[in-house]
Order: sequence, then C-alpha cells, then structure tokens
Amino acid sequence: MNTGKVTDSSRIHSHRLGRMLAFCFFALSSLFGPVMLGAPVVAATAVISNERSGDLVFMNESGETIEVMKLCNRPRGMAQRKSDGILYIACSDDGEVIEFDLATMEPERVFAGLPGAMSLAIHEPSNRLVISNEGASKATVLNTISGEVLATLPTGHEPDGVALTVDGSLIFVASENAGIVHVFDGTTYEPVKRLITNLRPRRLAVRDKELWVSSEMGSRVEIFSTASFAKTDEILFAPRGFRSEQLTPVDILFDQSQTTAFVALGSANHVVIVDAVKREIIKYILVGRRPWGLGLTPDGERLFVLNGLSDDVTIIDVDSKRPVRTSRTGLVPHSVEILN
Amino acid sequence: MLHYFVVLLTLLFSTAAHSSSLEIIVVTSAAENRLSAGKSFAGITVKPHRPVLRAVELAVFESSTLFETLGVDVAIRQLELKPEVDVQEQLKALTPASLIVLDLPLDTMEQVASVADQMKLVAFNVRHSDSRLRDSLCLDYVFHSIPSDRMYFDALGQFLVHRGWRKVLVVQGPSQRDSDRAVSLIESLKKFGASVVDQRVFSLSHHPDDRDKNRPGFLTGGISYDVVAVIDSNKDYGRYLQYSTRSARPVVGDVGLTPVSWHFALERYGAPQLNERYRNFKKNELLGPQVAMTDAEFAAWSAVKLITNSLNTRQSEAELDLISVLTDPASQVDLYKGTRGSIRHWNHQLRQPILLAAPQAVIAVAPMPKFLHPKHYVDTLGLDEPESKCQLQ
Repeated sequence: MNTGKVTDSSRIHSHRLGRMLAFCFFALSSLFGPVMLGAPVVAATAVISNERSGDLVFMNESGETIEVMKLCNRPRGMAQRKSDGILYIACSDDGEVIEFDLATMEPERVFAGLPGAMSLAIHEPSNRLVISNEGASKATVLNTISGEVLATLPTGHEPDGVALTVDGSLIFVASENAGIVHVFDGTTYEPVKRLITNLRPRRLAVRDKELWVSSEMGSRVEIFSTASFAKTDEILFAPRGFRSEQLTPVDILFDQSQTTAFVALGSANHVVIVDAVKREIIKYILVGRRPWGLGLTPDGERLFVLNGLSDDVTIIDVDSKRPVRTSRTGLVPHSVEILN
Repeated sequence: MLHYFVVLLTLLFSTAAHSSSLEIIVVTSAAENRLSAGKSFAGITVKPHRPVLRAVELAVFESSTLFETLGVDVAIRQLELKPEVDVQEQLKALTPASLIVLDLPLDTMEQVASVADQMKLVAFNVRHSDSRLRDSLCLDYVFHSIPSDRMYFDALGQFLVHRGWRKVLVVQGPSQRDSDRAVSLIESLKKFGASVVDQRVFSLSHHPDDRDKNRPGFLTGGISYDVVAVIDSNKDYGRYLQYSTRSARPVVGDVGLTPVSWHFALERYGAPQLNERYRNFKKNELLGPQVAMTDAEFAAWSAVKLITNSLNTRQSEAELDLISVLTDPASQVDLYKGTRGSIRHWNHQLRQPILLAAPQAVIAVAPMPKFLHPKHYVDTLGLDEPESKCQLQ
C-alpha cells in the first residue's frame, strides 16, 4: 500500500473533489514516512471518518496516526469492498458517496445525488451498496460497478442503520424516528415487513438467522428472526453507576465467529462484550465519552471504539478485555473501517 | 364548531389484527386575544406565542409511518370554545379515543380540564407551568406535558450549584405570578444548597422616588453575590438587567441563561433533525432558521409522541386505549433530549430533562452531574413523589 501524496486528480469525476484535494494535508505522514502502512509489525490500518473536522484519519493498530486526508464534507458511514481494496465513504453534507481506492490512496469515482448519505452496507457478491439518506426518509441501492441506482426504498423519518442478509435476499433499514426497521426484498426491492422496535433504532447487525437492532432511547438491543420476523429476544445492559435511561446503545459488531458481540453504549461511556449465543454480558469496559462507532481488526485482537464527544479512539485488547491505548482522532469521529 | 382538516388513514401495510383510532382535539378559546400575547408595552414581541397546532401536526406527520404500519387512523380537529356556551355541551362529541390538547389561557384551561376529567376524557395541559396546578388539577384524566416551574427552577438551581455560584440575588417583578414563581425559585435554590442573599422587587416606574427599584445599578447594588436570578414573567424589565448590574455577574432566570424544555440550537440527540423538520414539513409555511418550537408547542408535540411511542415501548399492537397508555409506566417517549420521557404517576407530570440555554446555545442539560435520585434519573427535577400533595393511584 502506498501513502504517497494524492496530486493527480484527473481520474476524479467531480471537479469540486479535485479542489478539495488541494486541502489534503499530510503532517504526520512526513513524520512516519510511507512505510508505516505496509510495515509488517502493524498488521492492520484503521480508517476513521470524522464528521465535524470533515477528514479521514488513517491510524495503525498501535493508535498512531499515519495520515489525515480531507476528502469531502461531513464524512460518516463507510464500507469496504475487500475483494479489490475499495473503501466507500458517505459524505453527508455533499450528498455523495466516494469510491476510494486503497491501493492508490486516491478517490476513483463519486456517486452524487444521494442527499444526507449516512450509513452504508455493502453486498460484495452482487456489487450492491445500500445507503441510508437521512433527512430524505429513504435508502438507495446502488450498483457499484455501473453506478446505476437500482432502487429507492421509502422509509420512515431519520433512516440510519442499514444491513443485508448474507445472501443479499433481504435489506434492512432502521428509521430512528418511526421506531421501525423496514425490511425489503433484496431482489424485487418491494417492502416485505416493518419490524416495530423500541425507541430510536440506530444500527443493525446480522448474525446467523438473526437481526440485532440497537434501540438508542430504549436502552437495549432487540433481536429479530430474519425468517419469521418475530422478535425473539432482547438484551438489557446495566454497567455499574448508570441508570437504564442513561444507556444509549448505537453500534453493534460481531467477531468473525459471530459468537461474541460488541455494543457501544453511548452516553454511558462504556462498550460491552456480549456472548451472542447465550445473550449474556461478559464485560463492560470504560472508554471515552459517547462511544458510537466500532471496528475490529481482522485477527479479532483489537477493538477500535470511537468516542464522539472526546474526539478520540479507545483501542481494546480483546483477549484481556482491557483498553491498551487512547488516541486522538479528528473532531467527532463517526465510523471506523479496519483495512487488512 | 368542529373543523376536520387533517385526516390520514391508510391500511395499506396494516399488520395489525385490529385497527384503532386516535383523534387529537386542539382546544382554543374564541375569547383569547392572541394578537397582543407575548408583547411588551412598546409592542415588541418578547415571548414567541404561537398556537400549538403546528407542533401537533408535526407529531402526526412523524407518526404516520408507524400508524400506517399498525393500522391506526388519526385525525386532528380544532375546537374553538365559545365563552357563552356550556363547556360540557361543547365537548359532548368527543369520545375516549379523543386526546385533548388544551391550548387555552389559564382560567379557561383549569375549567375545561376539570370538565374533561368529569367526562373521562384525556386532556393535556401544554401551556401552564404553574407548580400550583400540579396539586390543584390532581385529576385522573388530566396530564401536564409542559414542565412545572419547579422543574425549571430545580434545573437552574442544580446548574448554579454545579458551577459553584451559590450566592444568589433574586430580583422579581411586582405581579402575583412573579411572586409565586419567586417562591418556587427560592425553594429550588435552597433544595440544592444555594443561598439567597437578598430578594428585591423591581418597579417599572421611572419616578425618581423609585430609582432604587428601577435603576439596575441601584437595584443590584450594596450586596455581594455570584449571580442575579430574575423573575420577570412578562419579560418587560429583566432583559435590561444584563450588562447593567452593579457587580459584573451573570444574569439567569427569565433572561440570560434560561431553563427551557426546547431550543433551536440543541446540537445533539437528533435535535437538529427535529428542528429542521419543524421548520420545513409544511411546504407552503416554511419557518426561518432560528425558529423552534416554544415550550408549549414542544409540550403538545410530546403529548402526541408519547401516545405514538407507546406503540414502540409497550409492544402491544395498536393498543391505543388512551388512559391505559398514559398510566402504564412502560409508555415512554423519545424527546430528542438524550433521555426518554415518561409520566410521573403521582401527579401526571411528564418527566424530562431541562435545557439551560443562552440565546444562541444550550449550555447544559439538567439533571446536572452528581445530582442523583434514588429511583429515576430525572426525578431530581420537580415535585418528587414524597413532596407532592397530589398522590394519584
């Protein structure tokens, strides 16, 4: 992987993006040099989108910033196409999604006309990207090869979390305001079902035949069957010193085996490790202020927890379940993707 | 006279075994003069005073996806009361599916609330914060979604103590309402450990004999304090105290840093989305960038959203028997303030966080850190169960 300066903007389809690139700055890349990204001691690189400072921070597994890149306005959700090293970045205030080539470290394409693009979910086998459009009460399904909009999915107000089943046959979109997860057929894009959730459903995660939904204002994670759509279970949290109404779960993440779940508890300043099979709490870990975004290294050893109100990331050693480092990010870190 | 003007009913996506209906009745008074409401002597608008109807419409607009899903029919009706006709007669067309939103001046509100209770109709006080009403309108079918003065002042008291500004000079207006509210304020200050160094009454008169009560420098002089707390319900005088106090101290209360239930500049908890929707959801009646729901509008919005959100939190499909919804502790509402709201069973007050706001920013959200309640996170704000004269259930 190469971290050389992005100077050639000729391949970018948006001229504004080209102008933005002029603002790219690489203060730290000059310190650490371009070898850090590919250095063998650090296996993985984290990319953190910062919605307020409007930049991406590239960070190694030790929490050292390698590069800061300003690409667009209010970057939020991200998704990786792992097969060929592409990162999609939702630029909310531009209403665009950027296709960023991780090999050349350059934006390849810009998909425009996506107002309030917020959360992203990718289905690699079918080359589809699902984008929630906050403020427009809809989600968009995009063919990432042709750039064609395959479907526009109407939702309740404030759509946020999006997810697909592994086979791509169902698409889920959470409407925070309506308290509904909309289920769409992944082939016809027809609405299939509306799941009534507790207050303010935020993020979605699919595991086996289960859909996990974080209810931010309901202070719980609800579990629905992706076959019957019935609510089958819910997980409540009780970290020491917090009342139920102070717990505002947002991101949910499973490990590779899908037997362990990580949930960021927002205002309660903790991340929780859950036995996803037994539905039992394993441990609460104190992190920074208002943790939302989560990312796990491919080897499953490091959990990155983004603290939106303290502008930092807590890196947790998963084996010992302890934080090992807290590092500064940009302003209001939103999402993290860990590159291989 | 009843106007039907919004009806939303579709069963397109109905998954419910049975459907139910909700009819929101916004009650106003033909006798109320809204033209001069909230204006000062010189005709300057010092307190935005709008009908709560738009906020009710917003709540219904937001609820439409869920209502459609569960097959709930909803309608908004306006009922303008005629002063010369018996109230009971004017309410007789209402049913147990009617949610009454009382957008009325104080005396009419008290009267209509009592009649509604006798008729077993659910009614919400959305305009009047008088703490007294939480005891005097202690009725099974009457609810208060606007915070009480005690909630507002408890939030302010916590803020001052949290900041370490414990010596408070209280300056109040001469009206009975100002005196009642000053009593509430002083109770709140004492509850959290602040002290009142003096209580002074201002006068609107510019007569030289009254200068110690009118000139800010004299009114706030001759004593040491950390902060000036102003009670000026009409906002006629207090707004001239800032930058004119004898000592360079902040001004809080009805001017300066003010406890409110809603604000245009709240940046977190999804509030920007709600504010944007409020301004823009009526395409032919857009509002300007700094316009937000008044506390009365927010209270009306909260009342309707509490009913809607109960469908999420109780998870009993399309069960909308209003009085059971409102007396069920599982009924909770997402208030876009970081902590969900619910009804206090003892006096039917909607519990909620209170914002401490300057004109351009929300400075803090109460409860403040370290003010803890044994039972509920926000119950350090307002009359707690043991203190309340009203003991429903």
